[in-house]
Amino acid sequence: MPKILLVEDNEMNRDMLSRRLQRRGYSVVAAHDGEQGLSMARSEMPDLILMDISLPLMDGLQVTRLLKNDEATRHIPIIALTAHALVTDRDKAFEAGCDDYDTKPVEFGRLNEKIDTLLTVKKL
Amino acid sequence: MILQNLSIKRKLTLITMLTSSAALILSALSFLIYDLVSFRHLLIQDLKTQAEIIGYNSAGAMEFKDVPAATATLAALTAKEDVVAAGLYGKDNKIFARYSHNNNVLPTLLPAYLEDKGYRLEGGYVQVFHDVTLNGERLGTLYLESDMRQWSVRAKRYAGILCIFVLISALFALLVSSKLQRLISRPILHLEDTMRIVSTNRNYEVRAQKSYGDEIGRLIDGFNTMLSEIQQRDMALRGANDQLKSRTGELEKEIQYRMETQEELLKAKHAAEEASRAKSTFLANMSHELRTPLNAIIGYSEMLEEETRESGKSDSVQDLRKIQSAGKHLLALINDVLDLSKIEAGKMGLHLENFEVAPLIDEMVHTLQPAAAKNSNTIQVQIAADVHAMRADVTKVRQILFNLLSNACKFTDHGVVSIDVEQNKIEGNECVRFRVKDTGIGITAQQKQNLFHEFSQADASIARRYGGTGLGLAITYRFVQLMKGRISVESEPGKGAMFTVDLPAQVIAESPESAKSAANDEAAAPSAESKPHKDTILVIDDDASVRDLTSRFLTKLGFQVVAAANGEEGMRLARQVHPLVITLDVIMPECDGWTVLKKLKSDPALAEIPVIMVTIVDNEAMGIDLGASNYLIKPVDRDRLAVLIEKHRADRSASITGAPSSPFIATPQRGPKQPERRTRGKVDHAEDLVSRG
Repeated sequence: MPKILLVEDNEMNRDMLSRRLQRRGYSVVAAHDGEQGLSMARSEMPDLILMDISLPLMDGLQVTRLLKNDEATRHIPIIALTAHALVTDRDKAFEAGCDDYDTKPVEFGRLNEKIDTLLTVKKL
Repeated sequence: MILQNLSIKRKLTLITMLTSSAALILSALSFLIYDLVSFRHLLIQDLKTQAEIIGYNSAGAMEFKDVPAATATLAALTAKEDVVAAGLYGKDNKIFARYSHNNNVLPTLLPAYLEDKGYRLEGGYVQVFHDVTLNGERLGTLYLESDMRQWSVRAKRYAGILCIFVLISALFALLVSSKLQRLISRPILHLEDTMRIVSTNRNYEVRAQKSYGDEIGRLIDGFNTMLSEIQQRDMALRGANDQLKSRTGELEKEIQYRMETQEELLKAKHAAEEASRAKSTFLANMSHELRTPLNAIIGYSEMLEEETRESGKSDSVQDLRKIQSAGKHLLALINDVLDLSKIEAGKMGLHLENFEVAPLIDEMVHTLQPAAAKNSNTIQVQIAADVHAMRADVTKVRQILFNLLSNACKFTDHGVVSIDVEQNKIEGNECVRFRVKDTGIGITAQQKQNLFHEFSQADASIARRYGGTGLGLAITYRFVQLMKGRISVESEPGKGAMFTVDLPAQVIAESPESAKSAANDEAAAPSAESKPHKDTILVIDDDASVRDLTSRFLTKLGFQVVAAANGEEGMRLARQVHPLVITLDVIMPECDGWTVLKKLKSDPALAEIPVIMVTIVDNEAMGIDLGASNYLIKPVDRDRLAVLIEKHRADRSASITGAPSSPFIATPQRGPKQPERRTRGKVDHAEDLVSRG
């Protein structure tokens, strides 16, 4: 059962996404700000991270950069999520080291595809 | 000369007096001389007669050598006061008898005399000689000497009288001339007075009084005419002056007014810019703030739907689907409104890239299959063999076709929706023609008019029946325009509709926003894909219009243009973009072009970038000294600029073939998924809002 870390500050979105992911058979752990996300990524070692970009305390790009610079966490695929849909957000996300990118509101089917792909790639 | 400086009055008097006196003196003198000469002649004649008489009387005495008788005869001369001496001389010229008045001494010998005249004038005396004869025989000579007393007395008296007469005449002349000179001097003096008044008081209204019709009268006339002329001109001048003053006043007011207006305009401009910024911020925020709750609504309803379906409550499933569909509709509406706002704000940039047309169409059709199936429609695709790649904003092309196709599916029931793609030529330009045709309800002529306007579906009832935001075609229309294409529609009610879109096979970006994007507007940053094809030019100029024009011109030439309004920004962008060429203005606030040039040339990372000075300052030597490659004087010869840039491009590609032209190309670390994302529907890309419901 793959473990997904969801870093999302909005409570409803966090609740909704984690429940839907759980229904899909994932084990979900959730963090509500950047710092917590960072420490949970290190302690939980999830198989994949869904990272909101605009987060309190430390934004998602920074968390991603730290994780990707860390030998221990570098391998964890990160999908960036943002409500802004500007090209620069996407570029910034890739620049920070995200493996994929999606916008909110999340189209759940599409997000699932991305998760599947990344988890498959990882297994290989 | 003192005389010359005398007043005209004195001069006239003096001239008259002197003239008359001189004439008088001359005539009196000539009279006097004539009188004295004739009087002397008379006196001499008289003396000669006297001598004759005495000679006759004394002839006897001489004959008889009777000296006393002769002396007595001579003594008769006592009566004649003027005869001062007389003497009788014998044949031997020796004195015989003598007479003397006042004991005058007589010479003992006869003085020599002039025989012909018988007299001579000597030392104020007249001497008369007369031969004494008896019966034709000369006995001796009588000698008389007169002092001309009568003549000198007469001369003295005459001179005195003359002097008095001349004096009196001169006085009289003075009197008369001093009266008469006024005839001439008075008008002249009056003229002079008038002139003085005019010149001291600047009063051009006074006039000289004309007294007589002579030359002075005419002079005064002339003077008066001149005065009135001057007065007229003075008045005209004053009038003009007053007019000028009032005009100046008006102009000052006008300037004041304009300055105020300008200030107001500036304020208004700032306010408008502020408002525009606020609008952009609002749009960005709205995008975020509206999407977050929508996220929850759509997500929860989808989740609930799944759960409910599993628990078998089919009634609730329908309701939950309605919530979902309403949420997605709302999301689409938000996206469309945002798109339109961006288009209107001129913030909708084009992100051009080359792509194959056929895969795009296939993908669209695949995406639209569910929508077609919903109304039991079939989709037919026909792509001409010569249609291959095109260069355009793929996201917008996709959205255009998506809107047209989904409309066709929506308004057609149990029919056929077809899309034809072919190569076409419009006005000599290569175009790609997309034709979307359906067999649906069609559009009336009246409905056509508003078809491409915002919030106007063909019919209000349609919205209720078919749903939709009413913005799809408006956005489609704007996107087509943005890419310099054309869209048209043919339709007959009940028989379906055909939308024809012609897009240039090579779309050229012309929007200034996209040109300036890198400098100012992150949201409009050009897509990374389009970058490697272009060389970047950095334009540094404080004048917005110059930036705009240069950007447009260079963009047309196929360059990527970034622009900076000041030196600082210019330096920052130069480091960031590492352009092919920098064009640099000299006169800029704060940090001028020379300083920027020095900084550029002293930075090892930037020193190699050619700098073209584009300025009104004519100092090429300075520019070249500081390291500029070329020097152009404004207004810039665009062709020259283009040639120079081309030259630099050729130079650079010759020296570093294959090296990345811009650090931008290298920086973004793409994820492994990138190629996949490019083909996934209308999701990603560009500045567009992603994820249409």
